Amino acid sequence: MNKTLLVGLVVTGMMIFIGLFGPLLAPYGIDDQLKIEYIVDEDGKGMVIAPPVAPNAEYPLGTDKNGYDLLTKLLYGAKYTIFLAIGIAIARVVIGGWIGLMLGYYGKGEKKKKGQSFWSMLNGIPIFLIVWLILIGISINPNASPFMMSLLLAVVLLIIGVPSVATTVKEKTEVIREKQFVQASESLGAGGWKIIRSHLLPHLKESFLILIVQEIILILTLFGQLAIFHIFVGGTTMYPDPAEYYSRTNEWGGLIGQNRMNFYVNQWIFYVPLVAYVALILGFHLVSKGLEKRYGTMFSKHSRL
Amino acid sequence: MPKAAQMTIIIPGILLLVCLFAMMPVVLHFGPGDGGLQFSWGQGFQSLKDYITGLGTGESFTYYSGKNEHHFWERIGSYFLTSFYYVAAASILGSAIGIFVGIYFAVSKAGWAKSIADFVGALPDFVIVLILQFIIVLIAKETGVVLFEVATLSADDPAVVLPLLAMIIIPANYMVRNVAMQMKLTLTEDYISNAKAKGLGKIYIIFYHGLPNVLPYVKGDLHKLMGIVMGNLFIVEYLFNNKGVSILLFAHAFVGGEYQYDIVVNGLFSFLLLYGLGYALLRAFLYGVGKVFLR
Repeated sequence: MNKTLLVGLVVTGMMIFIGLFGPLLAPYGIDDQLKIEYIVDEDGKGMVIAPPVAPNAEYPLGTDKNGYDLLTKLLYGAKYTIFLAIGIAIARVVIGGWIGLMLGYYGKGEKKKKGQSFWSMLNGIPIFLIVWLILIGISINPNASPFMMSLLLAVVLLIIGVPSVATTVKEKTEVIREKQFVQASESLGAGGWKIIRSHLLPHLKESFLILIVQEIILILTLFGQLAIFHIFVGGTTMYPDPAEYYSRTNEWGGLIGQNRMNFYVNQWIFYVPLVAYVALILGFHLVSKGLEKRYGTMFSKHSRL
Repeated sequence: MPKAAQMTIIIPGILLLVCLFAMMPVVLHFGPGDGGLQFSWGQGFQSLKDYITGLGTGESFTYYSGKNEHHFWERIGSYFLTSFYYVAAASILGSAIGIFVGIYFAVSKAGWAKSIADFVGALPDFVIVLILQFIIVLIAKETGVVLFEVATLSADDPAVVLPLLAMIIIPANYMVRNVAMQMKLTLTEDYISNAKAKGLGKIYIIFYHGLPNVLPYVKGDLHKLMGIVMGNLFIVEYLFNNKGVSILLFAHAFVGGEYQYDIVVNGLFSFLLLYGLGYALLRAFLYGVGKVFLR
């Protein structure tokens, strides 16, 4: 196992552990709030403690401006970010992979038409804008529970992501289908299912694994981008006048989105969730790099210059 | 199918898809009280119908900003130009930097530079923007020197350098990794060994044998690159509050709780136009590069 993969696995392993047991490790309850206090110390000097409190021994990562502990928030929100991303990624690859396999094996393998590239004009509209348009009507102060809202977002992201996965898998399948061992197997009388099961799937399983990790990264990125535009996983609570947006689940992208204006003052509120989120993404990135290295180097040629 | 026939299907198809996407906020909503999720397609298509009938009377090109009614054609010019500058700079400079740094990466070790490029490539675009803003604020706090504007707060004092930087870094990074990979593959080919055996210089081989064979891959990947640029444009304009098309769209999509279908559709069409212009510019640029390095 190479170093990249190992480091990536350790980081993601820790994150998954936090996702599973986060609420048990949290130093405070999710509803515990630091109120404004007036404390008189031994010398008789008084001081006011008012949120937001900078990181200190009592609050390792500080509190936000409403007096909630940031570490607790992160620990409670982790499960939404991590498991939703992993769940959507697996669902995308299973469904998209299956469609891609079918199209790649049973399809005619027709040549790419010239006009199809014109459809790429739709690239001009970014994916997160489409998701934003779909969700903006329902995501602010929703009736449904955070779990239902997360599920809804998952379905939307699933539908939007399946075509690209299917295309990737289809291209890979078409390459393997032309290999001689597949043709040999066909001429020996193997049926479609037999070939898919014992030739195509074993050759694609590494690709599927890497694809899942890369989809996780893409989904995490989307969570963050949506959060910048006030669509949080699990729904957004909006308080009017002045409009303030809060994540209902404390999901990490949401914490970034709701605190992103804090880079002038009380900066820890801004960078604590950002660091956690970047660590999560980098963990998965290292896993994907490590896997590619592990599977990829075997037959590569070397530069001649 | 002949090309003209395809176009007659595809162009209305794209327009219709855009109209459908823009409809979604009207279509999907929760019922009154504790009602469940509802689809009101009727209302959605009503707004499309209003838009089409409004095209004739010009009503589809008006929108409200606060209580004031504005005319789309009067306003779009400056918004569109701002966005266009960023798209043009990002696509041309991004790919120029990408191609040359990518070549350098392919033929040299530059280990630490590669890991930095890889690290930046792993970060989502908005994280890069936030980090850039944060660094400027940190520097300002430590030294009292404000290097660049962190955001556009007033029209007289727009943030330019930072958005431009953010717009260029991300496509350039994508291009660097792509070109480096293709260049490495190209340099394993037999005709490179042949050129080397003839005694041609290293630089000459790279630019006149390697690069012309890498450019087709770059061309094939242009749509993806433009997709990255456009996604980036959104994030950058929004986070820096630059008065481009995305701000036009976001600031006016909901006015007083009312969804303005017309301005969203018009904004999305402007995006498609921006995409087309950026793509054409890039093609022209690559055509030029190809001409320069043709033997």
